[in-house]
Formats: sequence, C-alpha cells, structure tokens
Amino acid sequence: MKIAVCVKQVPDSETRINLAAPTAELDSSGFTRILNPYDAYAVEEAVKIKEAGSDVEITAITIGPDTVKETLKKDCLAVGCDKALVITDPALDHADAAAIATVLSAALKKEPYDLVLCGFKAIDDDNGQVPILIAEKLGMAHVSTITSLELGEGTLTAHREIEGGKEIVQASMPAVLTCQKGLNEPRLPSLPNIMKAGMKPMETVTCADLGVEVPANLVQIKQYSPPPARGECKLIDAEDPAAAARELARLLNEEAKVI
Amino acid sequence: MTYSGVDFYRLDETLSDEERGVVQTVRRFVEDRFAPDIREHFRQGTFPMELSPEMGGLGLLGAAVHGPGCPGMSQTIYGLICRELERGDSGLRSFVSVQGSLVMWPIATFGTVEQQQKWLPELAAGKRVGCFGLTEPDHGSDPGAMKTRAVRDGNEWILTGNKMWITNADVADVAVVWARTEEGVAGFLVEAGTPGFTAHPIGGKFSLRASDTGELAFDEVRLPASALLPGARGLKAPLSCLNEARYGIAWGAIGAASDCYHVALEYARQREQFGKPIAGFQLVQQKLVTMLTEITKAQALALQLGRLKDSGTHETPLTSLAKRNNVAMALDCARQAREILGAAGITDEFSPGRHMANLESVYTYEGTHDIHTLIIGAEITGLPAYR
Ligand SMILES: Cc1cc2nc3c(=O)[nH]c(=O)nc-3n(C[C@H](O)[C@H](O)[C@H](O)COP(=O)(O)OP(=O)(O)OC[C@H]3O[C@@H](n4cnc5c(N)ncnc54)[C@H](O)[C@@H]3O)c2cc1C
Repeated sequence: MKIAVCVKQVPDSETRINLAAPTAELDSSGFTRILNPYDAYAVEEAVKIKEAGSDVEITAITIGPDTVKETLKKDCLAVGCDKALVITDPALDHADAAAIATVLSAALKKEPYDLVLCGFKAIDDDNGQVPILIAEKLGMAHVSTITSLELGEGTLTAHREIEGGKEIVQASMPAVLTCQKGLNEPRLPSLPNIMKAGMKPMETVTCADLGVEVPANLVQIKQYSPPPARGECKLIDAEDPAAAARELARLLNEEAKVI
Repeated sequence: MTYSGVDFYRLDETLSDEERGVVQTVRRFVEDRFAPDIREHFRQGTFPMELSPEMGGLGLLGAAVHGPGCPGMSQTIYGLICRELERGDSGLRSFVSVQGSLVMWPIATFGTVEQQQKWLPELAAGKRVGCFGLTEPDHGSDPGAMKTRAVRDGNEWILTGNKMWITNADVADVAVVWARTEEGVAGFLVEAGTPGFTAHPIGGKFSLRASDTGELAFDEVRLPASALLPGARGLKAPLSCLNEARYGIAWGAIGAASDCYHVALEYARQREQFGKPIAGFQLVQQKLVTMLTEITKAQALALQLGRLKDSGTHETPLTSLAKRNNVAMALDCARQAREILGAAGITDEFSPGRHMANLESVYTYEGTHDIHTLIIGAEITGLPAYR
C-alpha cells in the first residue's frame, strides 16, 4: 500500500508577527517554523498504519522553500515516513489554494497512492480547501475531519465528529482524508531517528519537473492589517455583587448597547 | 511568550538541521512531559521515574555512548540534550548525566562484552537505572583516599565500605562502585538486592530536591569475578567518567541560566513600578544584559568544547574550565533573576529560586568550583596545588 501525506510548514502560533500597518506581504524573516499541527496527525496515522504490519510505503509531500527540509526531516522522515518530495518553485510563492492543489495533484499522480492523508486545515491561512480540491481533481473519495480510521479491503471506515454526535462514514479507496485532533497522539521522533532522517530519500522538484504549468491564482491576498487596538477596560468594583451586576447590565445596555 | 531559546549570537545557525531538530524535540519533551509537574516533584522531593523509559525511547540516555542498544550520537548532541533538560530542572539533567556518563559510559569503555550486552540495552532504554558510587562520607574532593575496599577471595571479591551523596542510589538496579584493591582503584558492577548491599535516601535537601540522592552501604558484599570492570585500572578510570559528565554539566548549566533569563525578562517587561515596566530601569537592564552576555559566552565555550570532543580532544582542563565557568555563571544568573522578580522570586511559582537552589549542588558535585580552579591552575603553571 502507498500512502501520501501532504504537509505544510507554517509559522509557530507563538511567533511574533511584526504588523504595525496594513501591508500586502508579511515580514516572515523572524518566524519560527513548525509542521502544521494537524498534519502531524496525518503523519502519525500513516506511521501507525505502517506499524500495523502491512507492506506500506509513506511519502511526505510538500510545497515550499528550502527551509521546509528541516521540518520534513524531523517531523516526517524521523517519525517514520519513508521518503519525501519537496516541490520548490518561486512561481508558487503566492499560490492560492487552487494552484497548490493543482500542483500537489500532479505530484500525487506520479504514484498510485491508496491513501492521501492531510491535516484538515493549515493553522496559518485557515483555508481548509486544498485536500478537498485534490480529491476532486484526482476523482478520489474524500472524508474530512476524521477522528478515527479503520482500513478494510479496498474500503475504509472513518469517524467524524459532528455537532452533538459522531458520524461513521464508509468510503472506497483511494481516498483523501483530512485529519482532526483526536485521531491519534503524534509521537516525538527519537533523536537517533532525527540523525538518520537525512539518509532517507528526499527529492526536490520544480513544477516543470512535474510537468505541470503553474496555474494562475484565482484568489489573491490584498492586505494584512493589524486588529484594531483593544478598547479600554472598565473595572466594576465588586464589593456588592448585586450592585455590580446592575452596573454591568447598565453599561452593556447604555454604553456598549449590546443588550 | 513561549520559550524559543536564548541565542543572541546566532550560534544555532552553526548547528545542522538534525541538531536543531534534536533541540526542538527535547524542548518539547521537557515542556509537555516534565515541566507541568516539576513544582510538585520539587516540593515532595521526588523524581518522575516514569519518564525514564520515555527518555530511553527518545534516545536521551547515553546519547553519545557507543555500544549495544546505545544511541551513539555526537558529543555536541549530548550537550544540546543536557542544555534542554536542565532548562527544566538540574534534577532531570542529573538523572541523564549519571545514567549516560557515569554508568553506561564506564560499562561501554571498561566493561566486558558480556557486561555490555547484559546492561547497555536496558540502561539505554531506561528500563533499568544505574548509579555511580565514588564519593564517601569522609572523602569527597580527594577520592584517592577512599576507604571502600574490595578483597579477592578465590574467584570472588568481598566489598566493604560506604558511599555518600549518590544520585539515584535508591532507585538504581545497578551501582558502578569504585573501591581500593591490592592492584589499585577498581570498578565493580553491584546489582541491587545483592546480600549485604543497602541504599538509604538522604533527607532534608534544599537543593536538587527533584532527584534521588542517597547513601550506599556494602557490608562484606560477595561479588562474582564477572562484577569487575576489567578495563578500569586506577583512579584515572572514575575520573575519566567524571570528565564525561562534567562536559554535559557545562552545557546543562546554560539551560538553567537561559530559563532564569527568559523568566526574568518576561517578568520585568510586565511588572510595573513607579508607573512603568521595571525593564525600563537602567539597573534592571544592567542585570538582564549581564545575564545575556554571560550566557552567550558560556554558549560559545560549550559549543566549541563539543566540537573539539567530536574531533577527538578529551583534555580534562578544557572541560574543567567550561564546567567551572558555566555553572558559576548559571548560579549568578539565577540570583540576578531572583532579584528582578522581587518577592515573587522566593516562591516556587517562578523557576529561578529552584534553579538557584539546584545549582548549589551542581557547583559542588563533579568536582567543586574550586577544585576545577586547581585543575586549570596545575595545567597552566605545572604546579599542582591540591595538597
Ligand atoms: C546532589 C548531589 C549529588 C551527588 N551525586 C554524586 C554521585 O552520584 N556520585 C558520587 O560519587 N558523588 C556524588 N556527589 C558528591 C560530590 O561529587 C561531592 O560532594 C564533591 O566531590 C565534593 O565533595 P565533598 O562534598 O565531600 O566536599 P569536600 O571535598 O569536603 O570539600 C569541601 C570544601 O572544601 C574545598 N576543598 C577541598 N579540597 C580543597 C583543596 N585541596 N583546596 C581548596 N579547597 C578545597 C571544596 O572546594 C569545598 O568548597 C553528589 C553531591 C551532591 C550535592
């Protein structure tokens, strides 16, 4: 069985973003970068399937600059992926979800994957579109935000969390699945495996190598702007709770005008 | 703000992708698995033994030791590991120093193939724990005067004596014990449960509380010939183990200092007095700048020492200089951080007070600060001043 895990390197959610005024492009020079946390569930699930004993080969695929290799080694290859494919192309610097999905689909067509695992969204742009678009382009089944997975003969059963309950879905393979928190507990790579990760195959290609023309962006980011400064905080003296509650209600009604 | 390391001089840029990956992984392990409980362990005087197999699984035990089942990584990696662990607590780093440098390393270096196969895989996996008995109640800085004796009896040995201040004494499955014999100082592997061998915890510690420290007693303990570490001949054998561990300490101290600096900086930015953050006062800035400067110098020392060791240099005075400088530096940082925190600095809500207490032990063990002064002094003058 062949599994592809599509991953993305994103800024750490704790990274300080310097954004004093509206801008078309973020200054990313000081960013600490990590594997998108939802992609870690996808990697872990693939490795668990491999460890369950069947003959499985896992390929981690990403689009990004040279700096993604560090993340690929530590968080994919050291954890148990067998090889990595890095699509590095300046033409993709500002690619939208549709363009990314087109290029990833071209890469995914190179091998007959039975499963494509992805995080359900990337924490930087919060788009959540790429895996769905890939499934559409490749004509594969798609199940989103899974929290449990069981593989059968050519089919799979997945759990999805839905409002107030659980949905159990059966799908045919090949399939694109997006992974949600709860699916598993991503492991830390062992240090000797980190040291050996560099010895696993990592191929770097451009769009031309994949034989795909970089599609025009359908969506463009026009501006990032900082959130408005927070208003002043009013503290109500809570010595007398009943009076404090009356004062809070009055302020919400008369000043904030929300009730 | 989360901690992303102290790296004013961009020394991280000289690390490989893999080395940076190691740093991030150990940092996450410490934050997720150790940091949430350290306050309670320090209060109770306990060590989280359940982390031993987890650390083994990650390759943190005997990281630079080569042998069956051992991680066999570089000295620089071992140093980086120690730095990240000691940012959590000196007790955590002590556990790893003892297991790796003082137990696995002598077995790998001085032991027989049988001893290596019997002990190294399980010690590396953290399924078994070891301790190192050199110091005695009456002989600390001068271990050459040790009283513990091993006498041959046919094919066997009879071991008698006491060892004091032994890390992991109470939890160890095996003790590497140094004793005087007719042929000089020799090392023995003594298994827990051997008749006549007992361990007792030392209570009342205000330092290194999240670490097991105890006493070992050997009352005519009969050991098979296979207990002897055949490659360890003379006092230089245990001293060479200490040299390995001191190297890790030189790195570890940077972790404790960095945590103190990070906590003090965050606190000073937020704490307001006289209408502005205390970080805006010159005297507070001076403390922070001194801490950062000293940490940066210590980092350069440790990194260069690591690279030298990886290229085959094992000169004791170099390690002595780094241990001596970096631990004293860390203790100063902890004290200055404690000052910046004011009253808040004297409770266990903030880490600098705990680091400060811990570093008093680190200052003393593995050769006291002053003994390292004498080692370096003997090196540069040719005149040993120990006695
Ligand atoms: C928490 C903890 C854990 C430890 N773990 C271990 C362990 O696992 N295994 C182990 O074997 N040991 C261990 N030790 C013991 C440690 O190595 C000794 O404490 C250390 O070697 C110092 O010995 P001492 O305490 O007997 O002090 P002493 O040797 O009595 O020294 C007391 C003071 O005299 C000074 N001094 C001594 N000689 C001279 C001299 N010639 N010139 C100038 N000054 C001198 C010292 O610098 C020191 O300030 C541990 C200690 C601690 C605190």
